[in-house]
Amino acid sequence: MRPFEPNLHSLPEGSASASRLALAAKRLGYAGIIITNHTTTCGRPIGVEAARLVAGIEVVIGAEIVASDQRSLHSKAASLRERVDFLAVHGGDEKINRAACEDPNVDLLAHPHQGRAGIGVAAAKAAQENQVAMALDLSPMILLRGPARIRWMETVRRDLDLFGKFDIPLMITTGGRSHLDLRSPRELTAMAALLGLDRDRAFEAFSLPESILALNRRRWTSVGVELV
Amino acid sequence: MRSWLPVLRDRRRYIAFEVEAEGRVRGGDLVAEIRAAQTSLFGDLGAAKNRLRVISFDGRFGLLRSTHTRTEECRALLATVNSVGGMRAAIRVRGISGSIKAATEKYIPQSILQPDENKRRVDLGPVSGSVVRVRGREIDLSPDDPKMTEGSGTRYVGLTSFDLRGEDIDADGTSDGL
Repeated sequence: MRPFEPNLHSLPEGSASASRLALAAKRLGYAGIIITNHTTTCGRPIGVEAARLVAGIEVVIGAEIVASDQRSLHSKAASLRERVDFLAVHGGDEKINRAACEDPNVDLLAHPHQGRAGIGVAAAKAAQENQVAMALDLSPMILLRGPARIRWMETVRRDLDLFGKFDIPLMITTGGRSHLDLRSPRELTAMAALLGLDRDRAFEAFSLPESILALNRRRWTSVGVELV
Repeated sequence: MRSWLPVLRDRRRYIAFEVEAEGRVRGGDLVAEIRAAQTSLFGDLGAAKNRLRVISFDGRFGLLRSTHTRTEECRALLATVNSVGGMRAAIRVRGISGSIKAATEKYIPQSILQPDENKRRVDLGPVSGSVVRVRGREIDLSPDDPKMTEGSGTRYVGLTSFDLRGEDIDADGTSDGL
């Protein structure tokens, strides 16, 4: 298993530089990190070149699309697809979750469980068809306590059953904004186990980002046609 | 602990951890924070079952004890600690072992000084390392090769300033050289 952390935010959005995140992730046993800053903040992360100097860990620059409605989501995804290796969508709103699941350009729906919204059956079917991965973002489990965390756990437990039923790809992340937000793959596996995710599915979830990246980096000219 | 029937005695695991924080972490704050995370995640009943105790903590590295079947639960609850004493922090599990001795030897570095972060290096051919402490002419050296102190039960190699300079005309055998 070569685990990747697929949804991090670095300076200027988070509080740690890309190289600091890379160094911390390497010490925790990751093979790579994907930095997905939101499209609404000032664009590219600072110090990407410095992060590439950290030996033994791959640093990938992706993007996390913030959209207010379905239409702008699809157009942003289509235009960003060519420019970045990994495309995430800022989820949480029920309509946006659904729209992201219906868009084959999208790789990952980040934190779909923020707030009370979850994934419905229709969205789950769409995600399966378009191979859009769902993020199991464990930051609420780390940062929240009491009733708020109980509500979040209820939603996530229910949706994990749904993901299993429809065989939707899953990625585990902390959505970290600082090196102190990062957790090692083993710790995340232990936390996910409390939510009802077994070890095998967790391991699969950690190695999924790398295979998605390998697919995205091939030069596709149209659907299913590759330029060799 | 009061003596107990050997067959009924519970088995234990020792969890070696490292605290990464933005400032100095006090042991009391850490214990309170782990307790709070534990009762918040598992409740009183779960906390009684995994029987977590803080054995030692030196400001950076520490040791916890738990029941041997519930180490994964402990990993999860340590991962949910996000601040200690009002300061952002994270607990990293370094490893789990069956005895205090093994956990300490395997997972807790014996010298916090890294060889390259100390400017005072000593290199005498067979002996090389970085200086930990100097008292008069006595020098404690953290060796690059941990095997150097094997068998003696010490952490550092003891040297004097004479070793470094070769012959010294002031040498009179006393430790401070006066």
